[in-house]
Amino acid sequence: MEICTFYTSFKNQKTFFMIKKWLFLLVVSSGLIAAAQPKLPQNYYWEKLDNGLEVVVIENHKVPLATIEIAVKNGAYTEGPEYSGLSHLFEHMFFKANKDYPDQEKFIKRTKELGAIWNGTTGDERVNYFFTFDKDSLDAGLKFMNAAIRFPIYREEDMQKERPVVDGEFQRGESDPGFQLWIDVNKRCWGDLFTRKNAIGDHNIINTATPEKMMIIKDKYYFPNNSILVIGGDVNHDDAFQLAKNIYGDWKSSGFDPHEKYPIPEFKPLEKPDYNVKVSSIAETPYMMMQWMGPDYRHDSAATIAADVFSAVLGLNSSKWQQALVDKGLATYAGVSYQTCKYVGPVQTFIVPNPQKLKECYEEAMKQIKMWGDDDYITDDQLQTAKDNLRRNKIRNEEKPSDLPHNLTFWWCSTSLNYSTNYDDNMQKITRADIQRYVKTYVVDKPFVAGLIINDAMNKQYKPSEYFTAKSF
Amino acid sequence: MKKIIQYIIILIAFSMPLSLCAQTDKAYDMNINDVKVIVQPSGNEIIVFQTIIKGGVQNYSADKAGIESLAMTGLTECGTTKDDKNSFKNKLDKISARVYGSTRMDFASFSLNCIKGDFEAAWPLYTDAMLSPRFDAKEFARIRQDAINIIRAGDSDSDNAVDKMARQTAFMGKDYAKEPQGTVETVTKLTPEETKKYWQSIFTRSKMVIVIVGDLDKADIESKVKDFLSKVPAGSPFKLKEESYSPPANSFSPKERENATNYIQGITGAPLPGTQDYNAFVLAMRIFSTRHFIEVRSKNGLSYAPGSWFSQGKTPYANFFVTTTQPDKYIAVARNLIDKVKTEGFTAEELKNEKTGYLTGLYYRQETNEERAAALATNEVVHNNWKRAIEIKDEINKVTLQDANNAFKKYITNITWVYQGDPKKVDSKLYTQKETPPIPADKKAF
Repeated sequence: MEICTFYTSFKNQKTFFMIKKWLFLLVVSSGLIAAAQPKLPQNYYWEKLDNGLEVVVIENHKVPLATIEIAVKNGAYTEGPEYSGLSHLFEHMFFKANKDYPDQEKFIKRTKELGAIWNGTTGDERVNYFFTFDKDSLDAGLKFMNAAIRFPIYREEDMQKERPVVDGEFQRGESDPGFQLWIDVNKRCWGDLFTRKNAIGDHNIINTATPEKMMIIKDKYYFPNNSILVIGGDVNHDDAFQLAKNIYGDWKSSGFDPHEKYPIPEFKPLEKPDYNVKVSSIAETPYMMMQWMGPDYRHDSAATIAADVFSAVLGLNSSKWQQALVDKGLATYAGVSYQTCKYVGPVQTFIVPNPQKLKECYEEAMKQIKMWGDDDYITDDQLQTAKDNLRRNKIRNEEKPSDLPHNLTFWWCSTSLNYSTNYDDNMQKITRADIQRYVKTYVVDKPFVAGLIINDAMNKQYKPSEYFTAKSF
Repeated sequence: MKKIIQYIIILIAFSMPLSLCAQTDKAYDMNINDVKVIVQPSGNEIIVFQTIIKGGVQNYSADKAGIESLAMTGLTECGTTKDDKNSFKNKLDKISARVYGSTRMDFASFSLNCIKGDFEAAWPLYTDAMLSPRFDAKEFARIRQDAINIIRAGDSDSDNAVDKMARQTAFMGKDYAKEPQGTVETVTKLTPEETKKYWQSIFTRSKMVIVIVGDLDKADIESKVKDFLSKVPAGSPFKLKEESYSPPANSFSPKERENATNYIQGITGAPLPGTQDYNAFVLAMRIFSTRHFIEVRSKNGLSYAPGSWFSQGKTPYANFFVTTTQPDKYIAVARNLIDKVKTEGFTAEELKNEKTGYLTGLYYRQETNEERAAALATNEVVHNNWKRAIEIKDEINKVTLQDANNAFKKYITNITWVYQGDPKKVDSKLYTQKETPPIPADKKAF
């Protein structure tokens, strides 16, 4: 789950990059260190500054705009219970005050002068900040970003005003049954380490946060060697690298790897199926969710790609999954997804059942899930169609230049630049055997968490507690 | 999570203007069989083809709300004379072509989004869906139930629920009170026969505009569209009505709902399309939105999501929105801010900066073919002028500070407020009284 600083529609973070060719030559100027060149698509250029800051320039001249983004390997996964939600509050404070713009009114005034479109998001494994503006404002925009990321000011009075804002974002989530279900399922899935997967955090921690806690986050994670700067749009890569070096070159490295110094604890595997029916008056129609602990990039990157392909196959109208649930009128929507993570990605089914057929829908879904690992569950034709569609979707995902930095930083934080560039080639190599291995390793006959949210009237009428239980599995 | 729900609930095309892309050929239009066909070359591999049916909520009565939406869904979900539902959808899946309908207040659109290399395969499926829909009874029963579930899912979404209540309250008895998705009650009664008949009644050349964004050969477009339109009835002349909104007094309608916070939305009037105030009001509401954000969120920490915006359409209106734990303080802050702007006006610097930001937004919204098609379609339907989508940059630059200030003063008058949450937590008088309430003093958190 990812949350934004400013109220806007969420964007899909999982996109796929077209591989065009290897880039063998990059301009290396003084102040840059020799480092292993990642493989990148055409018109993508990479350099690493002496201080460890990776800089990627994506040249795309479709419209006369530039987008700049800094992403930091921070987020829910770095938060123990006493810091739950504070990566997100920290991200909000980025837009609040800094040495050049000492209050939010002045900060916003500057964004208006630049004509900028801007926002920030906090997810499980990434915090990112981004601005889009006229291409001629690149220098000014990079300086503006620099002041905010390196020289923030945390005042008690500012935090007093921002805490209810962040908490208000949380309350908005709690006013949504889908979010209520997500929280319920994920609490039970991740157990004691739930905070490591819950970017929105904890009301009490948010409402008692101090400037000191903000400084602790800054001193742990906000360093160039834990960040990436992406400059995209109607820019020249040589000029952009030079500006990046001039402005960010004196940002001091921490001298340590934050993730070695403050290691992320490993999630404990689920031991048994765990069910819950949550009654909520605002759930006008029921939602059903099942979640497993899936693969992660560190231990099984091949399965992360197989998971995506499998999800795509199950999205096809011809799939047994769609035919059994949606075509037969048992569900309005039945989606299967996997979220790529460095630290255990969740595999999830999200179903909007037809309320009158709730029991049938649940039983059919479970019956299908049990068959996911069967030899004939998917056909070669479906597998090829899904791959072809992922390739076509990649073209669509590359359409909006201002989104390209967001897509890239997602992969940088949770996988690697090479992973993202090689994704398409590797996805095309996925076989039915790869998918079976993924499904059998992580899903079929494996413990999972199931949740259902339903309103009181439907709960009384359809009595899900009688069959939506671990005993039924 | 939320995005999944939003995805299945509604597909809302973005409706802001755009400006001409520096790197693609000029847009042009053609008249084919009395239908305006607007073409914007794109310089990329994606083809977006939209058939626009004018009318929207003016096409049906309140007791039939949802019929247009269900008809559009039926085009792809109930089979065609050549293909049953599964055959049709499997063929689309094979080429990852997206064929879908959407319904809005002023028009419906039936869209194709495909990769250029797949266009020849997608075109017959796209046109068959419109020309020979089957409206199979069994499939229709399924999509009707899905439509009901989607309406309920929409009502579960607190943002959507308060927005719907605001429109239904402000426009009670008028076209804009109708819900394009319909209600559980209206959709439950719809039959495949009447839905098919309805589709046939609106699928006429007289209500149609076609928008294409993509690199297709002009002669090929002419040939394909001519053949397609030759199978579409001419229909009777049609003109969309315009209606202005001006609430006679402030009002406040509460509804109890177990939200974790208070949801509030206000609606008031706005200039009609084509009037001199229109572009000035566009800028005025954008500047006000920033002021509203600074006052409500930055200075007072009252909300994560304060918003104010101009809903542009044949019945245009302005919106104020907030989710807050302090609804009484919010209304005092908001009303004092409105008064201040009306008294003192905006500044020249604010107007200058807003014009800069508007330009960024124009380019930002021309980054995808879908966004460009939506802007061309909306400008053609709402302003009878698709070129406005391209020429708006120059028009916006002509707006003076006096224009913006006058437009804000003229249209931001009485406000129709609605509230969802615990009504005991709000003092309705503060919303309705004539005098602007004073802003309460800050409470110290520590």
